Amino acid sequence: MKQLFGYAGKVLRVNLTNKKILRQPLREDIIDNYIGCVGYAARVLWEELKPGIDPLGPQNKLIFATGPLTGTLCPASGSHEICTKSPLTGAWAEAHSGGFFGPKLKFSGFDFVILEGRAEKPVYLWVHDGEAEIRDAKELWGKTVHETTDVVLEEIGDPEASVACIGPAGEKLVRFAAVMNDKDRAAARCGPGAVMGSKKIKAVVTNGIQGISIAQPEEFYEAVTEAEEALKKNMPNVHTIIPLGTIGLVNIYNSQGALPTKYGYTGYFENAEKFSGETLANTFLVKRRACFGCTMGCGRYSEVKSGPWATPPHEGPEYETAAMLGSLCLHDNLEAIIRANYLCNSYGLDTISTGNAIAFAMECYDKGLLTIADTGGLELRWGDSATIINLIENIAKREGVGDLLAEGVRRAAAKIGKGAEELALHVKGLEMPAHEPRGEAKSTALLYATSPRGACHMHPYWTGSWDFNQWTGGLLELGLPWPAPDRFAETGVGKGLAVKLLMFHGVIQDITGVCRFPALGKEDDCITPKRYARMLSALTGREINQFELMKISERVLNLEKCFNVREGLTRKDDTLPKKMKEPIATGPTKGQAVTNLDGMLDEYYEACGWNKKTSIPTREKLEELGLKDVADELAGMAKTPKI
Amino acid sequence: MKTLVVIPDRCVGCRRCELYCSFKFYKTHNPARSRIHVIRSEPYIDAPIICLQCGLCIGSCPSGAISRNAKTGAIVVNEEKCTGCGLCVSSCPIGMIRVDPVTHVAIKCDLCGGDPECVKGCPEEALQYIDAEKAAYYRKLAFAKLFEKAAVALKPFPR
Repeated sequence: MKQLFGYAGKVLRVNLTNKKILRQPLREDIIDNYIGCVGYAARVLWEELKPGIDPLGPQNKLIFATGPLTGTLCPASGSHEICTKSPLTGAWAEAHSGGFFGPKLKFSGFDFVILEGRAEKPVYLWVHDGEAEIRDAKELWGKTVHETTDVVLEEIGDPEASVACIGPAGEKLVRFAAVMNDKDRAAARCGPGAVMGSKKIKAVVTNGIQGISIAQPEEFYEAVTEAEEALKKNMPNVHTIIPLGTIGLVNIYNSQGALPTKYGYTGYFENAEKFSGETLANTFLVKRRACFGCTMGCGRYSEVKSGPWATPPHEGPEYETAAMLGSLCLHDNLEAIIRANYLCNSYGLDTISTGNAIAFAMECYDKGLLTIADTGGLELRWGDSATIINLIENIAKREGVGDLLAEGVRRAAAKIGKGAEELALHVKGLEMPAHEPRGEAKSTALLYATSPRGACHMHPYWTGSWDFNQWTGGLLELGLPWPAPDRFAETGVGKGLAVKLLMFHGVIQDITGVCRFPALGKEDDCITPKRYARMLSALTGREINQFELMKISERVLNLEKCFNVREGLTRKDDTLPKKMKEPIATGPTKGQAVTNLDGMLDEYYEACGWNKKTSIPTREKLEELGLKDVADELAGMAKTPKI
Repeated sequence: MKTLVVIPDRCVGCRRCELYCSFKFYKTHNPARSRIHVIRSEPYIDAPIICLQCGLCIGSCPSGAISRNAKTGAIVVNEEKCTGCGLCVSSCPIGMIRVDPVTHVAIKCDLCGGDPECVKGCPEEALQYIDAEKAAYYRKLAFAKLFEKAAVALKPFPR
């Protein structure tokens, strides 16, 4: 096999049922057409997962994925993605994480780890220097993420290895359990931790001394320098993300009426200042921390030394955590938010879904849908710190009302009944994050409705950067409508086309294996598709331009969409919670509502070349993208609408 | 005379210096072949460890492969003479000379001949190549940090 520059070159395939470990070469046909990381994983899961399988059954597979740019000098290259079928949504799942795990996996000699089957007893996997071994994890089962990490590193005797593991929440199959790496970095959305828990695999640990080879070193160096220089000019980074971290967005979002507050009631919280990035910087912040290879370093490291919410030093909280466990629950105690973040990390929970589920429970309690009899004596009052902390414990351990919430808000609402379904904030079962779409931008509303993994602000790209922030991200030459229309406008202003293009831009980071943040910015002050193409070309030695790269993105996004179609998801699932169609009650965006989602969906499907009635990609589109086999398989299915 | 120095507390642990270093010498990205090493340890610690160019390793070498470059002050390894025996590795009090896993000869920081790549690549300006007199303060500051009062929580850390 010829040398693949930029890749480690191998796939590790571990069958946990029969303990078979295979080291396979990368499939060049997939590399050529999908680049790597999420693209590669999407193709593998499309080919190997049968539709309709139980996400928590042994037939499901879970892939730790890296891309060619992972672990290189490309700014913010410390990423990996976990791809599987989601136990929360039953649809396509990809969960992104920073930290050190991705690069170290590549240094160990593997680009991907594919986990199959189900172990009989708890195990963990030690991957190093082209080798892998399955080890007994009996002593680790039940331990928190932080404890597990310490014990495993001690056991393998390599203090610099990277541990990706689940906590008690994953073991208990909480449907939004995270896989945590390097203690406080989370691949959390869509519940990959529950899939690991169902397979009885506690951790994947990796390190190695293999390097990443570069096809054209001098050109790559220059391309990296160009990207670094561009990021230095990115003023939102310089003024907010670097000095304050993502939590610095709390005050900004609140002032714009886009801070989700009281579970869909409003986009403005008068007490937001109390848990803002500025307040954190002056109180519990210890220092900044970066993921591998990052020139920005948005990570915070905080500690609460004493008091009822005393918390050991750890990474966080991020903006999403602060808003979901803060304003969404009408809660403003920063110390308790830090403690809550630590507990979520420790138990291995998605802080977004956890905050959403807690706020949902509070609203149900407020409206009398949950009573003190249902909660086992726990009063669920808005904004109460102790309630939030107790519920996190309950969810992670599946105790009391936590057992209900651990199913995610969609299932919990169905179980509660009495109209609770209309309160739950989710799309496709994935809990809505902390960008209030009515207050932020209507492109965000469209993104929530159509993202393959459900309600998400970051997958595949934060579209609000365009009509909320008035940024282009280097997409003008690729046809992005400009100037961006009013953020509250819905149809007739090109939002369908824009969301499509912005999504393709995001998929570039997903398939090359890098962080999303450097790709957000104005036309010239971020890493644009052109700059990614330049770095990728120099690294791999395969000439590719931004137009070809966007085409590959389109292929990957269509394949993710088809994965969902095969699971039975169509236009009826591209929807928004009922509350999003009702006006925001207070604050600067008072009165804003999503009034014409159907119109925006029509525009989006048309821009994508998908059937407007069903949302299914047309045969012409799939064949144009080289996905004839996918079109054939969908057409051959008995239950799905014909494409 | 200039020298390489770490400004304490600036490092955020991104390890770009390691990538720049391995790229400079081997045109690869591989922290295992870097001549600078970032230690990240819980809690609090993100610290680039650099060779202080003290010269202790010179005497440990049975092949006479290690010497001081008069121009830069750097201690350098003659790769022709080095047999890869590894005696120098145990002689270094801070662990900053190692045997390369690929070439099997000793490698250490040579200050890039007076233009250190890691300094150019550090996004936090935690690494600097400055006048030795000025650098001395930061060296002392780093040393003084050993005597910093440990941050002890009032309560035992809950698990």
